[in-house]
Amino acid sequence: MDFTFSEEQEMFRAMFRDFSAKEIAPQAEELDHEEKPALGALRKAAQQGFLGATLPEEYFGAELDYTSYAMLIETLAADSVSTAVTLATHVSLVAMSILNHGTPEQREEWLPLLAAGEVIGAFALTEPDAGSDVQAVATRATPDGDQVTLDGVKTWVANGEIAGLFLVFAQGAEGMDAYLVPQDTPGLTVGYREPTLGLRSATFNTLYLEGCRVSEANRLGQPGEGGSIAQQAQDRMAVALAAAGLGVSENAIQVAAQYATERVQFGVPIAQKQAIQGYIAEAKIEVEALRYLVYHAAWLVDQRGDYGFDASVVKAFGARVARSVTNRMVQVMGGYGYMEDYPMARKYRDARALHIIGGPTELHDFQIAQRIFADLDMDIAP
Amino acid sequence: MDFTFSPEHIALRRMIREFAENEVAPIAAEIDRDHQVPMETMRKLGQVGLLGVCFPQEYGGMGAGEMGYCILMEEINRVCTSTGTNVGAHIGIGAMAIYLDGNDEQKRRYLIPLARGEQFAAFGLTESGAGSDAAAIRTRAVREGDSWILDGGKVFITNGGYADVVTVMAVTDPALGARGGITAFIVETDWEGFKVAREEDKMGIRGTSTAELVFEELRVPHENVLGKVGEGFVTFMKSLDMGRLTLGAACIGGAEMALESAVRWAKTRRQFGAELASKQAIQWKIADIATELEALRSLVYRVAWLVDTGQPFGQLAAMCKLYGSEVASRAIDIALQIHGGLGFSRDFPLERGFRDARIGEIYEGTSEVQRIVIASNIFREHGVRIRP
Amino acid sequence: MRIIVILGRVLDPSGIVVKGSAGRIFVNREEYLIQPADACALEAALRIKDGMAAEVVALPRSPLPDDDILRQAIARGADRAIYLTGPALKAADEAAMTGVLTAAIERLGGADLVLIGSTTLDTGQGQLGLRLAEALGGAQITGAWQVSSADGQVQAVLQRNGRYVAVEADPPVVVTLLPGALKLRYPDGVRLINVYRGVGEVGDALEAWDAADLVDEAALTPLVESRGKEFAPERERGVRASGTPAEMAQAAADALRQRMRR
Repeated sequence: MDFTFSEEQEMFRAMFRDFSAKEIAPQAEELDHEEKPALGALRKAAQQGFLGATLPEEYFGAELDYTSYAMLIETLAADSVSTAVTLATHVSLVAMSILNHGTPEQREEWLPLLAAGEVIGAFALTEPDAGSDVQAVATRATPDGDQVTLDGVKTWVANGEIAGLFLVFAQGAEGMDAYLVPQDTPGLTVGYREPTLGLRSATFNTLYLEGCRVSEANRLGQPGEGGSIAQQAQDRMAVALAAAGLGVSENAIQVAAQYATERVQFGVPIAQKQAIQGYIAEAKIEVEALRYLVYHAAWLVDQRGDYGFDASVVKAFGARVARSVTNRMVQVMGGYGYMEDYPMARKYRDARALHIIGGPTELHDFQIAQRIFADLDMDIAP
Repeated sequence: MDFTFSPEHIALRRMIREFAENEVAPIAAEIDRDHQVPMETMRKLGQVGLLGVCFPQEYGGMGAGEMGYCILMEEINRVCTSTGTNVGAHIGIGAMAIYLDGNDEQKRRYLIPLARGEQFAAFGLTESGAGSDAAAIRTRAVREGDSWILDGGKVFITNGGYADVVTVMAVTDPALGARGGITAFIVETDWEGFKVAREEDKMGIRGTSTAELVFEELRVPHENVLGKVGEGFVTFMKSLDMGRLTLGAACIGGAEMALESAVRWAKTRRQFGAELASKQAIQWKIADIATELEALRSLVYRVAWLVDTGQPFGQLAAMCKLYGSEVASRAIDIALQIHGGLGFSRDFPLERGFRDARIGEIYEGTSEVQRIVIASNIFREHGVRIRP
Repeated sequence: MRIIVILGRVLDPSGIVVKGSAGRIFVNREEYLIQPADACALEAALRIKDGMAAEVVALPRSPLPDDDILRQAIARGADRAIYLTGPALKAADEAAMTGVLTAAIERLGGADLVLIGSTTLDTGQGQLGLRLAEALGGAQITGAWQVSSADGQVQAVLQRNGRYVAVEADPPVVVTLLPGALKLRYPDGVRLINVYRGVGEVGDALEAWDAADLVDEAALTPLVESRGKEFAPERERGVRASGTPAEMAQAAADALRQRMRR
């Protein structure tokens, strides 16, 4: 075992920090209040190669290992969870699905565009009646010669409003299929944007597919392989979201600890109060536990084995840590933690999302239990 | 022991529920979105007598006691925490200080219009350097003939932006500090030298006014000293005790709303071929909220009874606020989680409830301050004096 | 001017959950409200009182197990309320109630105006207003939206064939109000507390009268005798649509169209 980061990884981290401080942090507050996506920062991120972070160089990607990529997400999330989630959706859910399951033609066509940020990817799986229960997807893919017609409604489509390419999941003849659907395809309409509690500068939209025809060549993977593609994508995303939870938690502790050294009550800085020390210490313990869980899971992604179990563990834990840490750090800052003029309120709202997006914690809890009982030859149902 | 509500309190609850559902619930989302204090609703609450719920009828009140006031807070907060906060700041700490320590003349002049909702009150305690540490205030009051001249300012004052009357705590003798050096004043906000400096942009309770107040050579007549000179700290602490109890009552309302919507959604939403209600992960959560809610309800109404029967209650009031705010936060968090994505959307009231509930553990004495109060009371009984 | 308002009570529907699949009604909260149309009658009476010297007296429309809605009426502004009690009243139907109410009104010194809801939520018979007009020997105006009084007359606005009609009558007049015509005002906080405590200005506003003192037992014999059993009518099930949104919308539209044809 070796827990040290390589020199290269340390260098990346410094670069990510530098980028985030320059390009993400200054506008994060304003973009959140105005509920606008950080398009400018995304363009800059593309120039740095971050939008193709894990893609090979032949597709103009940065060819980062998943651990370095997790660091990137972590670093961005420290300043803006919205931007981290936007980027993770683009890379982990969309670009890497094409990389792992696409034909050479599909990769040639889309990956350079995605890496360059000329096209942003969106992931369209969830439906009004199919949230955790992916098997309930009702969007249909009807073959018609060498074309396929997609019909259905998708909700909570991450990046919906800014995307040029949608990865759409639909029921075909042999089970669930995945399709690459360009934004300008007739019959595809990006609809209502959810007004959200947090992640206000990320966009979540309803997507309408009405007689939306694409070539069969747009199918990603084999017929019926959609379920597996979605699961793998979500496992990758789970690790990225946990990394985002790590980033926002670390930063929240930093901000609140700094405040505690400055805020004087009862004649001393509140950092001198044991209750405050306890909050900070407990939060830090959780963050350190999460940190190595995240990097371990990220490392597993690169080992290309089955890491679904570890992805569920890290996602569920990441969501818990982010929620409890930001909650306590709001408390450290008292009234100032509740004011939108200070970043803590935003971190608190954003962190709450991690229990819900990428599968609610209850679903991950179930998947973890399912694996444990499967090892004991017991099949459990959700 | 008798745990039933009296017929008049049952009737009062029905009246408030009717009012809340017809007048408050329909505007709750809108005032949150637009950052508007619902002035018209506040006036209507006054017209039907509810803003004087706990004050004697001779001072324009309803005479329904602290029990009635807790019922009001529960029912209003069940549909709108912003309106509940406006009401609480107005009655529970603003007007309450005048009721508790005002003389007959002050009560006639100020309490009557406040009880009728013709005027609104705020409670001016917190300063930028004095939040939990209330004794650290720096606003000064200097005697000048028949008047006092106030200089300084207050922050995070609920109702501060629209109040007609603010009870202000100021230092009258810096040498004495909290023990004899602080005095409470009744200040009319249209007096020269009173200024609302800014409104805060808050995460939740956005249908309330949280203002920064500035006093510059503000002249207050001596007859507007509330209670005795030098005893302001006691006056304010008494009001805060009452306030803490009713915040506990407010949290019953918030938790009830959360539980009701969680149950409604769990029996509607189907995943994996069955209602969410059939999943144990959901059932356990519902059982936990319901249990905590019942414990809170019993605690709060028992303390209301203690107040109405003239028994000591300060220690238990701190527990109402501490436990209540934590129960409400947990309940709304669970309800939001059960709703999944919809819980996260501003199109549904849980999102607002989640933002609103978070203030409970912060305002009118943070959870940490409540724990200090509770612990120091316990240790005092054992002869140990603890400092915060 | 003496205005009599006749009030009935109904179980608050918001406290009930109807579960079709279980074929059951669950009562979560058993609370009673003033019948919606009767609430309009009370509001109409209070509005007249707002504008002129008048006494508003509330009476029950049927035997009540408790006096709660009468206290509610006082809390909302009625000057007096008479709670009619007695074992004789137990089985009283509309005919018997007409006799008791007529006697009660007489004991009160007569009425210039009697206001009552045109219908009730539970049975919807709407008989009592008409019977009372007959028994009191006065004019009757049925199904009013508004009622007012000026120059010793009673004015009302009705809706007939999609138009409004203003009518006028000499007292005594019985006016029945349509449900939803007026929004009943909230109780006044002080009156509410005091009427339930039985203190203050409204302390003795509520009286209980024994029906046996008003009419003899024969007058209380119900006109209608119940024979046979009660049963619910057969009802059609709804339509469940599935498929794409467009198909579901189509199915819903078809179902509605078919239903309208019938």
